[in-house]
Amino acid sequence: MVLFWLTARGNKMKNALWKNIFQGWNRQESETVLTLKQVPVFKGFTDKEFQDLEKLFHRRTYDAGEFVFKNRAPGEGMYIIMRGAVKITVGTRANDEKILAELSEGNFFGELALFDDEPRSANAIATVQSDLLGFFTADLMTLNDRNPQMGNKILFNLGGLIGERLRQTNQLLFEEKSE
Amino acid sequence: MNPETESTLLNLSYLNRIYRVIIGLLSAGFLWIVWPYISNVVLILVFAFLFTTLLLKSVDGLERRINSRGFSVLIVTVGLLAGIGIFIGSFISELSQQASEFSNRVDTETLTAEFNKLGEKFAAAIPGGLAAGSGDFSAALSGFIQMVVENLAALAGVIGSFVINAAMILIFTIILLAEYHHFKKLLVGFFSNKYFEVGLALIYNIEKSVSSYLRGQFLAAASVAVMSLAGLTLLNFFGANLTLTVFIGIIAGLANLIPLVGPFVGMVPAILIAFMNNIGNDAAMAHQLFGAVPSPFYVLDIVLMFIIVQQIEGNLITPTLVGKSVGIHPMMVMISLIIGGTIMGPLGMLFAVPATGILKVITQEIMFVRRNAHLL
Repeated sequence: MVLFWLTARGNKMKNALWKNIFQGWNRQESETVLTLKQVPVFKGFTDKEFQDLEKLFHRRTYDAGEFVFKNRAPGEGMYIIMRGAVKITVGTRANDEKILAELSEGNFFGELALFDDEPRSANAIATVQSDLLGFFTADLMTLNDRNPQMGNKILFNLGGLIGERLRQTNQLLFEEKSE
Repeated sequence: MNPETESTLLNLSYLNRIYRVIIGLLSAGFLWIVWPYISNVVLILVFAFLFTTLLLKSVDGLERRINSRGFSVLIVTVGLLAGIGIFIGSFISELSQQASEFSNRVDTETLTAEFNKLGEKFAAAIPGGLAAGSGDFSAALSGFIQMVVENLAALAGVIGSFVINAAMILIFTIILLAEYHHFKKLLVGFFSNKYFEVGLALIYNIEKSVSSYLRGQFLAAASVAVMSLAGLTLLNFFGANLTLTVFIGIIAGLANLIPLVGPFVGMVPAILIAFMNNIGNDAAMAHQLFGAVPSPFYVLDIVLMFIIVQQIEGNLITPTLVGKSVGIHPMMVMISLIIGGTIMGPLGMLFAVPATGILKVITQEIMFVRRNAHLL
């Protein structure tokens, strides 16, 4: 009986030991990592890099109707929508609000602030209660110090996306002029 | 808005201001009472923060190569401790060797005779009225030594407290280095959504200001060490017979980190070594600076050399490396040094400039927030 108890206890301890040693193997990806994986800015990142990146992001919760930032406010970085929705507008809510874009989960905005010191060019307002991930110039600088490879990947991807948007804008402008 | 509502709102605004002043005064009073109990911990944390800022780049750089934060912190800390240990160990060993050589070479009578000769020389050089108090130089020195011996117990207490504080600073530095980015993220988490981006910018700017100030200070200290070493070597070329020049140079550089007082602290070991090495040497005793001013044991040569080094450092190197990094007006630097010195002595002087830099960044950010309040 005692032998059985000791063996059972020993097995239990052994299992706990193995469980602890291999605890990282079956780790579930966090919600933040899953969101980041949807964002084209982080295209080409490895799982390890996503885990490192996760530590740099700031998770914030905004109520419905709350400003994420206002037009002409000083900008420090970009936001990714983890849960909820955000509208990008110009003008004031009382009078001449014009919605430029309605963004949902996995979309990002405000990325221009990572590159320049110019103020924000539009308002960003949460339309429902939203969880956003913030990534700022200070974080990008830190990342460049700690892991320049990752920093360069982000800058390359962002450059590509901004170039793509510029091409689309040019196309729209061209179509507008030819009409 | 009707006039009655307007007047009520105005009264509320005044009440709000009075309330804020009262809260501010109560907080200041509370801090005044609690400060003696927490000052030591605050000082330890400030030192740990400064060391962390200084070592952070190395830890981040190493982490990039070996991919482990823990090992990076361990390697940098052990490397730093080993460096300090080797420096102190070899300095003590060289100094004790020098002291034993000195005691073998010079007996008590010669030492007393040399002191008296030196005392007479100084008395002759000092104008009449001032010379009155400078009677028996050797007696004054023995009195000083006796006083030091009597205070040995107090000295042991001070050393013990220093060792404990140094150990605490080391532990806090290791923790801060390992968890720095995590702590920073936690701190940012305290800001409300409205002030979140501004708070992040504030922390980043403070970090940048302190780190560039410290890096500038250490570069200035390194330049003082190199220039002092070159100066001492030059003096040796003219027969000053100085040893331990590398150590003296490093001590002068480190002492330079404390503004105003530091430069004079750097001279002391050089003068002591010059005295120990040249005692009994008549040529050194009769040495004259530029062949005109009496400078026994090359004392005035050493002082002049350090003054030249300080002038180069103060007028050329520091304004370029440190002044620009913090961006404070020289007059403000002087005022902050006086205030720091009055509050905390030499330690206060050490922290005065970076603290003023931090205050400047905070003030700038507050002004910025006030200007852009309608946009937040």
